[in-house]
Amino acid sequence: MISIRDIRKSFGEKQVLHGVSFDVRDKETMVVLGKSGCGKSVLLKMVIGMMKPDAGSIEVDGKDIAALSYPDLRRLRFRFGFLFQGAALFDSMTVAENISLPMYRHAEYRESDIRERVRFALSLVGLEHAEHLMPSSLSGGMKKRAGLARALASAPRYMLYDEPTTGLDLETADGINRLINDLRTKLGVTSILVTHDLRSAFLVGDRFAILDQGRTLMTGTREEIQKSKNEDVQKYISSSLSTSGGTLP
Amino acid sequence: MTTGPSLKFLEFVGGRAIGFFGSLGRYFTLVWWMIRNAYNARENPRVVFHQMVQIGNDSIPIVVFVSAFVGMVTAVQSDHQLYDWIPRTVVGSLVIKSVLLELTPLLTALVLAGKVGATITAEIGSMRVTEQIDALEALGFDSISYLVTPRVVAGVVMFPVLIVFGDLVALLGGLFGAVTVTHISAGAFVNGMKSSFAIWDALFGIIKATFFGYTITSIACFQGYYVEGGSEGVGKATMATVVFACLAVVVMDFLIASLLL
Repeated sequence: MISIRDIRKSFGEKQVLHGVSFDVRDKETMVVLGKSGCGKSVLLKMVIGMMKPDAGSIEVDGKDIAALSYPDLRRLRFRFGFLFQGAALFDSMTVAENISLPMYRHAEYRESDIRERVRFALSLVGLEHAEHLMPSSLSGGMKKRAGLARALASAPRYMLYDEPTTGLDLETADGINRLINDLRTKLGVTSILVTHDLRSAFLVGDRFAILDQGRTLMTGTREEIQKSKNEDVQKYISSSLSTSGGTLP
Repeated sequence: MTTGPSLKFLEFVGGRAIGFFGSLGRYFTLVWWMIRNAYNARENPRVVFHQMVQIGNDSIPIVVFVSAFVGMVTAVQSDHQLYDWIPRTVVGSLVIKSVLLELTPLLTALVLAGKVGATITAEIGSMRVTEQIDALEALGFDSISYLVTPRVVAGVVMFPVLIVFGDLVALLGGLFGAVTVTHISAGAFVNGMKSSFAIWDALFGIIKATFFGYTITSIACFQGYYVEGGSEGVGKATMATVVFACLAVVVMDFLIASLLL
């Protein structure tokens, strides 16, 4: 379980997060919704200790991230998979090398295990044929899928998705959404997904946290959000609908 | 009362000073982290080896080219500066002293500040702007031990090797220049070199190379690691690496000479 409590963060004089709180239960996909630049990605990086909050706490399995030493933090990160907005594949390595890189650091993996895990991760995302390709020769959707395979290869307990469908056409975005759902069903991972795309959010999310002006406006299921009487929530949904073509799945 | 322009001037100077000391602080923080967590670099022996090949092996052509011409021009200019009554064996003496003590280490370092320094900054900088460094951290790597330490270690190890190689090429270049352009006999040139050769001169060049290797690679890694502002930022950081590394090399050259000679 991940517990986020009253997180505040400023960059210079600009305060981005003013007190964000929500819990992520085991094996659920929590979607953090909010407009671009509202601090969603910052929040995601704080969950694995890549940024420190100015105030508030983040607990993963009962451990306060801010209190961990760097070696402990690195160990904790092995429990996470992170899909970056631009996939962040290492461009000097093939897709297979990208996926196998973190596994070479674990003494328990033998060469044959690593190869097998790479193939398994690629088969999960439907990229069996791309093992020896360089990231520069992949399309945007393929890069995301390869990034997902890398994040999944070490069998993480938690998955963090940063805008997984941004910049993709509708068909490719739906493919990624299906994949996220498949992975939850097959692997039972707990996920936090940040996006400004309401359509994708409703396709993959179990519960939702809406951020507005650096605060948690509301957390709840799709039904709770859609039935909310809160004016700001309804305003957010209608403005998000207009940018996503006015239809919801 | 302070007038507008003078206030602006103070603001400008103050802002620059804060920026400079802030950068210096971040540089030493990076170096401290690298030293403190040097143990983590053991996880990445292949990266260290790869960097040694990239910095060492890939720089050989440019080191050969520069050193050969440094040797040739030193021989020709030494001959030009000597009075007719001075024996020409002195040309060999001047070439070996100049090449080993100063010219090969300094000029090779300046060229490598451009080649190696710019490459390192561009590589690490583009990794920063495309979130690859964040990805390394997210995968449980210590990004400084993975990206910075291997490059600095490779620089410290390979620069002296390159300088020794450059010394040999420069001396051969000097011999070639002396024989073909100034028509000094090979025997006279070699005798001059032998009479002035001191092992300390070669060691001094190697010591300088070690410091140059550290300086260039650490500045380049620092500039790349803290890049901001997308691809434009990478371009600016690459330029800053070349400028600051060259300045640091000439200052260090003077300091080492003052301390050791």
